[in-house]
Amino acid sequence: MSNPANDEILPELHLSWMKRRGPWNTHAEPGKYGLTLADIQVGEYGETPEESSNLTGRSRGSTPRSTAMRIGGYTVRSKSDIWVENASFLYEEALQRQWSSATDVPWNTIEPLPDDVEQAQCQLATFLTEVEFVAGDVPARWISTTTPDYFEARQVLLAQVMDESRHMDVFRKRALANGGGLMKATGATAGFVGGIDLSRDFTEMSSRLHISGEGAVLTIFRMGELMAYNDAEKAIYRLCAQDEARHVAFGVMHLRYMSQNAPERREEIDTYLDEAERAMLTDAANPAGRLTQTSESLCILLGGGRDKFDEGFRKIVAIRRRQLQEYKKRVISAGFGERFENGRSRLNEMMAQAAA
Amino acid sequence: MSKSSSKKKPSDASPPMEIPEPKFNWMNQSRQWGTRVSPGKAGLTLDSLNVGIYGEVPPRWTDQGRNPRGAIPVKGALPIGYSVTEKIGLWAPCAAELYEEAIQRRWAPATDVPWSSVQALPDDVETAICQICTEISQYANVDIEVITNWQHRMSYGYHEVKQFLATASLDAARRYEALRKRALINGGGLGLEPVDQVNRFLLESRGGWTETVAGIALVRGLFLATMCEYLFRHAYNDAERAIYSHVIQDVARLITYGVDHLRYSLARDEEKASTTTTMIAIGLALLARDLRDPVLREALAIVFGGGVAGARREGMSVFFDFIEDFRDRHIDLRRWLNLPADVKSMPRAFRPREQH
Ligand SMILES: [Fe+2]
Ligand SMILES: [Fe+2]
Repeated sequence: MSNPANDEILPELHLSWMKRRGPWNTHAEPGKYGLTLADIQVGEYGETPEESSNLTGRSRGSTPRSTAMRIGGYTVRSKSDIWVENASFLYEEALQRQWSSATDVPWNTIEPLPDDVEQAQCQLATFLTEVEFVAGDVPARWISTTTPDYFEARQVLLAQVMDESRHMDVFRKRALANGGGLMKATGATAGFVGGIDLSRDFTEMSSRLHISGEGAVLTIFRMGELMAYNDAEKAIYRLCAQDEARHVAFGVMHLRYMSQNAPERREEIDTYLDEAERAMLTDAANPAGRLTQTSESLCILLGGGRDKFDEGFRKIVAIRRRQLQEYKKRVISAGFGERFENGRSRLNEMMAQAAA
Repeated sequence: MSKSSSKKKPSDASPPMEIPEPKFNWMNQSRQWGTRVSPGKAGLTLDSLNVGIYGEVPPRWTDQGRNPRGAIPVKGALPIGYSVTEKIGLWAPCAAELYEEAIQRRWAPATDVPWSSVQALPDDVETAICQICTEISQYANVDIEVITNWQHRMSYGYHEVKQFLATASLDAARRYEALRKRALINGGGLGLEPVDQVNRFLLESRGGWTETVAGIALVRGLFLATMCEYLFRHAYNDAERAIYSHVIQDVARLITYGVDHLRYSLARDEEKASTTTTMIAIGLALLARDLRDPVLREALAIVFGGGVAGARREGMSVFFDFIEDFRDRHIDLRRWLNLPADVKSMPRAFRPREQH
């Protein structure tokens, strides 16, 4: 119950703001999946400008005030720089499929493993603890400078940061849950030119992070059954693969949007793809790549022990080829398939080199 | 660790493939082997991993890469450029716990809000609610931009804080979305862009994370949480009650992190007490200035008073209660942090029942 206030201290009401509203009479309707982001893209509220002049951070569709200060400081202000069609689907799915590494992994199914297998598992987990959050740090940085006019794409990236946070911790948990420990870091993500961290353009970053980097990891997670020794590990790979599939989809859909809406940038994007492609098998960020500590640990896991390294190696070669094939499919789907026909891509050569 | 050696023997069944000699030079390398953390009542939590060296959180984390804490670091990797490298600048002992709690309490505005409970409201009430949604959405926008701008700059060794902030920015994304959805579902729309000095204050707090936290937690966070409690009590349907109760929970975690961090930091650096006090004083002065703008005040009074007719007396009285409640909670938290505070030292806007 509120304390009564003296009449004289109560301010007079202005109420003039009540007439300064955004488009009115908006009736968004919930659908089969509740009230989604797509459901509220109604009327002017669903219109996204090609170029954003919003420098104050106001919500898209609200009525601007001429006195508002330009506190936004956004660097991503062109729609083609960051946009994906269907962001709503990716975002809403991400929220529905959030999981807990504490309680959704059946940790009690982990039993002591032979020492070589546990070491391989722990080395792989150390590597993944190290690299997973590049995909948290870097999208976070871009989110902070993206105009809220493109908030749908931003929501997907925010969900990704959360996903990666969980990936970072689920592998740390795995490394410390079964009598092992963390092993050696790799430095696979670092501040080098053309690296994910230093990219100064969102699409460059995305082609490297979402398409080639996470694409390669997704292939491995999807084959998690082959390297899991218990239900806990199977659950980890399955749940992470689900998340990674969304992150990769974001990259593919963004590239597709870019290729259709900013054709003048196609050549430039091809250059990023050249670079990403060249690095795919050598990049330390691909655990099936040529870095000894990760590829050897994968071989032990895939083969079933240190003494079955050869069998594991054959499987890792198959994984590399699959990574390249899936990469090709994604690039075609993104609208950059020409590169595989006009001789620009060296993918076929790389297929042959996968066993090296 | 085992010392078994590998055998090289191509299998007859497979096509010939040259299999490289493995090095296994990464094996038997761990700073602490034999770690076995078991899941407890709340599953396998992040905090429970902090055993032995894995729980040693050093006062400075100078490594500029993504070496997981407790792993054998890689030397000579090119720096990524982390700038928040001191524990005193970000640590909160409860961060890991808050992280797991955030995941357990996750929600989806699309499906966890009973949208069908929203029924047509008088135009004045709908306009006021939509204005409040516009304001809270914009607060959330600022939280997103501020948190993501700092998170990626924090050293990898303090992963618990980075991970908690991933939940906090996704929480802010949900606020942004949920309030926008409420504004667009019931025949209304967004309102007038807020002209908000506190938003600017938070965005421009680039000097230190601790100082930013003081603004996020003790000024904006507490103001928003208290406002949502009043809005919850004066909600017009179950959907609004669901939204506000989720927001209250989410923001409570952000405040808890903030207070825990400030307590940690202030106890170790006297200088921090004075910069934090100054930041809070600036934040409160700006909040007081924002409150002079009639828009939010009158919108709240209309909601609390059941319409324009009840806004000036009843609504404004509840608004004063809210402001006093915020003030008293703020003072309580300040005292808990050993930071000087009393009613008289607060700007007059927080003593609304006094004759000015
Ligand atoms: Fe990931
Ligand atoms: Fe990912």
